[in-house]
Amino acid sequence: MPIPDPVTLAVLENRFRAVVEEMGEALLRTATSQILNSSRDFSIALCDARGRLVAQADHIPVHVGAMPFAAEAALEAFPGQMRPGDCFLLNDPWHGGSHLPDLTIVLPVFEKGVLIFLCVVRAHQSDIGGATHGGYNPSATEIWQEGIRIPPIRLGEGDTLREDLVHMLALNTRIARDFRGDLMAMWGSARLGAKRLEALLASHGAASLNAAVDAILDLAESHARRIIETWTDGVWYGEAVLDDDGHGTQDVTIRATVTKKGGALEVDLTASDPQTLGFVNSSWPNTVSAARMALAYLLDPEVAKNDGAFRPLTVLAREGTVVRAAEGAAVTLCTSHCSNEIVEAVVKALANACPARAMGGWGRRFRIAIQGQDPRRAGRKFVWHLFHARPGGGGHARGDGWSGAGEWHSAGGLKFGSVEMAEARFPLFFRRHEFLAGSAGDGEYRGGLGGELELVMETDGPARANTAGDGARHGAAGMLGGQDGAPHHYRLLPAKGTPRDLLTKEAGVLLSPGDVLHVRSGGGGGWGDPARRSPEARAEDAAEGFVLDKRSGE
Amino acid sequence: MRAPYRIGCDVGGTFTDVVCIGADGATLLAKSATTPQDQSIGVLDGLGVLAGMLGMALPDLLAQTERLVHGTTVATNALLEHRTARIGMLTTEGHRDVIEMREGLKPERYDLRLPPPAPLVPRRLRLPLRERVRADGRVETALDDASLTAAIAALREAQVEAVAICLFHSWRDPAHEQQAGAAVAATLPGVYVTLSSDVLPQIKEFERFSTTVVNAAVGPIVARYLGRLETRLAEAGFRHPLFVILSHGGVAPVAEASRIAAGTALSGPAGGVAAGLALARAGLGQDLVTFDVGGTSTDVALIEGGEAALGRGRQVGGERIALESLDIVTLGAGGGSIGHIGAGGMMRVGPRSAGAVPGPACYGAGGAEPAVTDANLMLGYLDGARFLGGRRALDVAAARGAVEKLGAKLGLGLMQCAAGIHALANIAMADGIRVATVRRGVDPRGYCLLAFGGAAGLHASAVARDLGMSRVAVPLLAAGLSAWGMLQTDLRYEVSRSLIGATGLPDEATIRALFAELEAAARARMAEWMANTADQSPAIRRSADMRYGEQVFEVGVPLDAVDWDDAGLPERLSESFHARHEALFTYALRGEEVVLVTARVAAIGRLPALPVRELPARPEAAAVARRQAFVAGAVRDLPVYAFTALAPGQQLAGPAIVESDTTTVLLLPGDTAWLDARGWLEVTVGGG
Repeated sequence: MPIPDPVTLAVLENRFRAVVEEMGEALLRTATSQILNSSRDFSIALCDARGRLVAQADHIPVHVGAMPFAAEAALEAFPGQMRPGDCFLLNDPWHGGSHLPDLTIVLPVFEKGVLIFLCVVRAHQSDIGGATHGGYNPSATEIWQEGIRIPPIRLGEGDTLREDLVHMLALNTRIARDFRGDLMAMWGSARLGAKRLEALLASHGAASLNAAVDAILDLAESHARRIIETWTDGVWYGEAVLDDDGHGTQDVTIRATVTKKGGALEVDLTASDPQTLGFVNSSWPNTVSAARMALAYLLDPEVAKNDGAFRPLTVLAREGTVVRAAEGAAVTLCTSHCSNEIVEAVVKALANACPARAMGGWGRRFRIAIQGQDPRRAGRKFVWHLFHARPGGGGHARGDGWSGAGEWHSAGGLKFGSVEMAEARFPLFFRRHEFLAGSAGDGEYRGGLGGELELVMETDGPARANTAGDGARHGAAGMLGGQDGAPHHYRLLPAKGTPRDLLTKEAGVLLSPGDVLHVRSGGGGGWGDPARRSPEARAEDAAEGFVLDKRSGE
Repeated sequence: MRAPYRIGCDVGGTFTDVVCIGADGATLLAKSATTPQDQSIGVLDGLGVLAGMLGMALPDLLAQTERLVHGTTVATNALLEHRTARIGMLTTEGHRDVIEMREGLKPERYDLRLPPPAPLVPRRLRLPLRERVRADGRVETALDDASLTAAIAALREAQVEAVAICLFHSWRDPAHEQQAGAAVAATLPGVYVTLSSDVLPQIKEFERFSTTVVNAAVGPIVARYLGRLETRLAEAGFRHPLFVILSHGGVAPVAEASRIAAGTALSGPAGGVAAGLALARAGLGQDLVTFDVGGTSTDVALIEGGEAALGRGRQVGGERIALESLDIVTLGAGGGSIGHIGAGGMMRVGPRSAGAVPGPACYGAGGAEPAVTDANLMLGYLDGARFLGGRRALDVAAARGAVEKLGAKLGLGLMQCAAGIHALANIAMADGIRVATVRRGVDPRGYCLLAFGGAAGLHASAVARDLGMSRVAVPLLAAGLSAWGMLQTDLRYEVSRSLIGATGLPDEATIRALFAELEAAARARMAEWMANTADQSPAIRRSADMRYGEQVFEVGVPLDAVDWDDAGLPERLSESFHARHEALFTYALRGEEVVLVTARVAAIGRLPALPVRELPARPEAAAVARRQAFVAGAVRDLPVYAFTALAPGQQLAGPAIVESDTTTVLLLPGDTAWLDARGWLEVTVGGG
């Protein structure tokens, strides 16, 4: 195979990145559902004919390490049977997916009948069937209650999608219009990628492109290994704990033993707790992706996120544990929990090996969805999702954490909407929405602050809320002597009756007009011994009102 | 050149460009060094150079100048260099952190060790006012005087230079903001006061507050700078009003640019887009990609059907400015971009730049790494002795040393390495344009690439080829096109107001009343601005931001084609929205509830059109020299033509070089080109 010259190599590497970026823009522009076109909950990857990740667009970190599983699953299901014009679809966590709401399209690209690339487009659906609206079902104890399972299927051939299949799938979701619109947008994005790659194949030839792919992956591998080699060799241990599974099992623990030797890392999760009844279990692709996400966070951000960069990493887990649930388990929460805990356990272990690169824990997700009626719009139901009062990011050797930037799995990539707009459009009054003083984990560099929200219900009659999340008992981890961030503390203050704490996995919480949801979200974990925090930084925190005033006795 | 004169003046990173158009349509470009400490010095220098070129004294030139339009980077630089004014903010109690929360977004997804930026106003100077207005305008809590008095005392104590007043739902009812503003102005004379309901009376607190805070942070700086410039100009003999080009591409008097200083953030690049619009009107074509290659970056904008799109998503120095501004995409590749080996071992060009100082290695000011300009010099595209008309001789040995050093590390010869740097710059530009066009749903292949800025002509043909574009145009005035464009645009004043309730569209009377009120305000302001011009009747342009009930994004819907007279206006507005949505996103949801979020009215005050002079017929020019240049993999002997000596209609065939004192065009093999009498070189890109 010809070895590409440095210029050609750089040109092709730029081109691959531009292709996935363009695919992302195309999907963003054409998607129907809000979750895609506003929350950008989708990812794009380019894989080679062996399913190796070649390039990805920076979208959702927790998707990225999982995309090659989709490519591999499609290749396995259709060995030697892919043809130009085909389109494959999957979502099942035991067949290349991570959790059911993430639908993935795999579209093959050929040169003279030989498979060269796979365009992979993954997008989170606003509904995927199952027992509850929106996919997150805290009462689910098996995957069949979570939605429709799709193994790799040939959704289209001859550049046409099979309408009978599309119809069957759309029929199994609650918002068929969004489902169809998003599916078309995903297919369009994948086809655009294929078109660009075909042009590249025409101008450079498959041999040259394949050689470039090998070289790009090798460069990323040596880049990653060069960095890892600077870390201290050893066997390191870290753990992180989930509150519960929503079905009576508390303190579900992820245990990571990380062996770092030279330029190689082995993350052994086999000692993690057994799988649970509730939906905090992780599928295998999601677990591998979480470990890769932790590695990506610890490397330099410039390291290309591709198959080469992840080669130094081996992940071990035992089937039947919470990090590798047996087929049929409930797993929908896994892209946030237990993903976040896997990342935290790995970072905690490696903090010993590369302290300056480790960061304090980022927040956990605690979502609330409210369904009710607006008195100004008789007879019309609304659904509102809480994205406000985000938790804080972790502190690190370069400074304090970001306040309100969110969780490990999104890391500042998820936007909350305008409070004014929410007040204008929903029967909700945001009495307070500010940073929460005292929520950050202390440290030489403290965590970012969580938020405080006082939300007054002005609904017409009773409304219902569902929660799905974690982190009300365990805050984001402090690192290297830094303290943990405060855990979440969500309370319901009824207009009449006794205030009570909200649990992280509750269905059908009754909310009456005048009730107040008092959300106090956790801050990020601190980094390093608090005693080493500079007096200037402490004075600044006090002046800015980021810490509680001890004199007031709060 | 005959008086009266009109002068456009664009301050760039390295040079200040001054373009003068005479009464006979003759056009002249003068350049001076930019003076970063006080840009007005460089402006006066440039005017002095121009006067010298015309053989006049500066006071005589200025006395006969009837319009002066200025593009300034003062606000942009203050934001990029974190040299903003010391400011305070008065805001609604319980919501102090809107600008620091940034809607939960953090840039650089995989850089978890990126420290958060310092907010433009620290939390301790974001002072709470006890008050609350509801979304429907109802006053939940009246403005509490005690909290206002305490806040003003704290502002006085902190000796702030400016105050941003940002209260919830002031888009609906600005009374509390006005009350607080009056109190601040009365108590703290000389302090720059700006209200969110004045800057951007639109729903969505982060966009409104952030824009207002930026306005406070740059307001005193821009106001002082423009004041100084006006004084210098007056002292030098200028008697007419000075106009400033704003981010939306229209111009406004100095008072307005000082009031909405955040609106000058794109003042520089806006001139280039204004030039593109003028050339579109002049017959270059309705669909253009403007391609402005500067020292550190390249600015790209789309002109579709003779119109430039406006957007409100601008960020400058990480700060959100939600004012209407031209949709200009900045790419991190320019003449100063440095070729190097990235951390991953891959050859890279940019985004690191040699900047104005030290500049590329060939500037001989200590730059040791090879920049794109160094590569272009090595490849024979530039003439080291004739750069800037010979006023800045290039150091060929320094450029060769820098390129060779990188080449040695990569195992590449001098020419291969230089060609690699050039090719990677082209790729970055082409990929940037491709992503910018797909984002807007545009296929660039039917577009003409309008190349300007000193270096665009060296890259345009290759970039166009890569994008499948068959037409490139390089104006004779390429190096000063932004300054020229500033003279081709009109006065623009826009007023907007959000109007959103829990339900869909308001009734017909409410819609009419709102637009009528906005139009009256726009006309009144324009009448003040145009008191001295012949044309007293501005053009009125209506638009609205609309969306479906449950959507998050609004779509800007132009309403100029809507019949405003007959009944049934809400239905026509709805249909305009459906059609726009369909055009943008391929589908419309005609059964869905339609929401009007913000109504907009822009008044366009036409400035007198400037005379145009076509190039006179003259004999065809022969090549002035031949040069060895590395093209398409080999060193070839290329003819060099003097750009200014070409005859209108004269045909050239690539490979060839066309150069003037300020710009150089590289024609690749297969390209053909001819000079259009209206002042540009039209290139038909070869099949490649």
